[in-house]
Amino acid sequence: MIQAYLGVDVGSVSTNLVIISELGQLLASKYMRTNGRPIQTVQEGIQALGQEAASQIEIIGCGTTGSARYLTSMIIGADVVKNEITAHAIAASHEIEDVRTIIEIGGQDSKIIILQDGIVTDFAMNTVCAAGTGSFLDQQASRLCIPIEEFGGYAAKATNPVRIAGRCAVFAESDMIHKQQLGYNLEDIVAGLCEALVRNYMNNVGKGKEIMAPVVFQGGVAANQGLVRAFKKYLGFEVVVPPYHDVMGAIGAAYLAREAVKRKGRTGFKGFNLENINFRTTSFECRGCSNACEVVQFFENNNLIARWGDRCGKWELQVG
Amino acid sequence: MYTVGIPRSLAYFFFLPLWKTFITELGHEVIESPPTSRAILDRGVKEAVNDACIPIKLYHGHAAHLAENCDFLFCPRLVSVRKHGDFGSETFCPKFLGLPDMVRLALKDLPPLIDTRIDLKQPGGGSQEAAGEIGLRLGNSPAQVKRALRLGMAAQGYFHRLCQQGILADDALQAVFNGEKIYPPQSHGQDITIAVVGYPYAIYDPYINAGLLKILQQQGVRIVTQDMLSDRELNRQDSKLPKTLFWYFSNRAVYGGLHFMSDRQVDGIIHVTAFACGPDSMVDRLLEIEAKRHATPYLPIAVDEHTGEAGVRTRVEAFLDMLRYKRRRR
Ligand code: SF4
Ligand code: SF4
Repeated sequence: MIQAYLGVDVGSVSTNLVIISELGQLLASKYMRTNGRPIQTVQEGIQALGQEAASQIEIIGCGTTGSARYLTSMIIGADVVKNEITAHAIAASHEIEDVRTIIEIGGQDSKIIILQDGIVTDFAMNTVCAAGTGSFLDQQASRLCIPIEEFGGYAAKATNPVRIAGRCAVFAESDMIHKQQLGYNLEDIVAGLCEALVRNYMNNVGKGKEIMAPVVFQGGVAANQGLVRAFKKYLGFEVVVPPYHDVMGAIGAAYLAREAVKRKGRTGFKGFNLENINFRTTSFECRGCSNACEVVQFFENNNLIARWGDRCGKWELQVG
Repeated sequence: MYTVGIPRSLAYFFFLPLWKTFITELGHEVIESPPTSRAILDRGVKEAVNDACIPIKLYHGHAAHLAENCDFLFCPRLVSVRKHGDFGSETFCPKFLGLPDMVRLALKDLPPLIDTRIDLKQPGGGSQEAAGEIGLRLGNSPAQVKRALRLGMAAQGYFHRLCQQGILADDALQAVFNGEKIYPPQSHGQDITIAVVGYPYAIYDPYINAGLLKILQQQGVRIVTQDMLSDRELNRQDSKLPKTLFWYFSNRAVYGGLHFMSDRQVDGIIHVTAFACGPDSMVDRLLEIEAKRHATPYLPIAVDEHTGEAGVRTRVEAFLDMLRYKRRRR
């Protein structure tokens, strides 16, 4: 049996699970769509990992991150619950020594993290504006009828990227259509879109930040070679895309679990067999005052184990 | 005797001791709108002009909530409270100057507004005159006004003294009016000190900032704010700037930020900034540049009508991690 650590990153778009060894080698990983059902997705993911790995691997620590990190921690019995910024920073600094800048672009949000000597010194996060996130490319790809996976290939063939104007996804889209009508070729338009996204990211999330090398580019979008090129062109130096760029948050959570278990001694991991446990949430609208909070209750086999969503603390309940 | 409504927004969080004491001592009843709720926010967003900042929209919601239940709505035209700045020309943000007009135009079925102009930067101040005007509206004699103003000022002074002992403004307000005994916050179990700066109506309204102060307290943070500093401490910072800003609350936020940047006890600064606030586009940038210069960790948190608890919590947790890792490293 190999002793190993599990990290789970549950965001609004994707759910990622990884298992790493004591030395940080990636032993298994899963990338799944959350599809608005985090509980089921996590249960399925854990079970799938169990089928692959349970016979050779013993989980001795587990951690969660992402926007559903608290919920997920109750499902799996996590030893540590960490925000995405810290998790990404931990993962990247294990991957590239002395990393100074992390560019992370996910489906619905994007972040920038500045580090010095292995610790975070500044960060910013964007969750409001789509123009600097992966969903911007997704949208334009479907408008151009190109599968997003092929986006990078098109961009690579561009000889003269078109300048797509607009700081906002809506304007960029209309400008792109305009450029299409003017007869620019698809490759140059695709490359132009990548450059527009980079500019938007830099003006929005990267605003006022001093970007120094080594730069790590991670998140699902980093698979897109067109974007990697656009970042290089904008910054004027190399950007590193780590091999497991799409599951870095989960890797960070696993590293943090390794630390946490050293402190607390043993793991709270509930095991790979979650199919016998029934997790569910119900919600009700509180009539206590005019806030009309949507209060969520979380059950494990009919035991109420947590409640949240109330603004006043009236329903607060957190067990364990 | 009249019933006078005071909306729980904007300068409420700073001048309530004076206002409420003054009006009560004149023999009238003060009613305040309840703490911000979804319903109040929605109402404000609906009624106010579209491009107003979120605090102004919120004010409309609070004013609308009170409208039916009071004889007068207290909505003074706050122009200035001191002679300050490069030409002695500091005022409140322009939106405060136009507040009574905005409210009157946006809301129907309002009771009469007490929209007395408060402009104390002129020679001789003018608080007596302003108080006299309000008294006249409410049918009080000059002698009553004089006495009520004195008591109001005393209450305001007491409020500031409590804040300067390190008590958060909302607790201090409780203490002023309900005589609740407040102990200065204990430093027990708190390993990090964070200065929260920004407009009082952004910092002390837990609805609009998604419970920022509570989240910080739960995470073992000692909170200090610019309102815990005396005017003297704040104004001293002015010499560090090439030019004073034009707006009262903005200057307080900037001075507070600058003060805490050179306070070794403070580990980091959070600036709560209001979405679509004109002055904040300067205030935030100024604080960001200065924080970098002082090597002080700095986190801006922009609040708007969609501010969610999750977003604030994630940023705060990451910020605290950053500060704690840094400390461990030292
Ligand atoms: S949970 Fe609290 S704040 Fe929310 S509606 Fe009920 S009483 Fe009001
Ligand atoms: S200072 Fe900013 S937030 Fe305050 S009233 Fe003026 S514009 Fe609005």
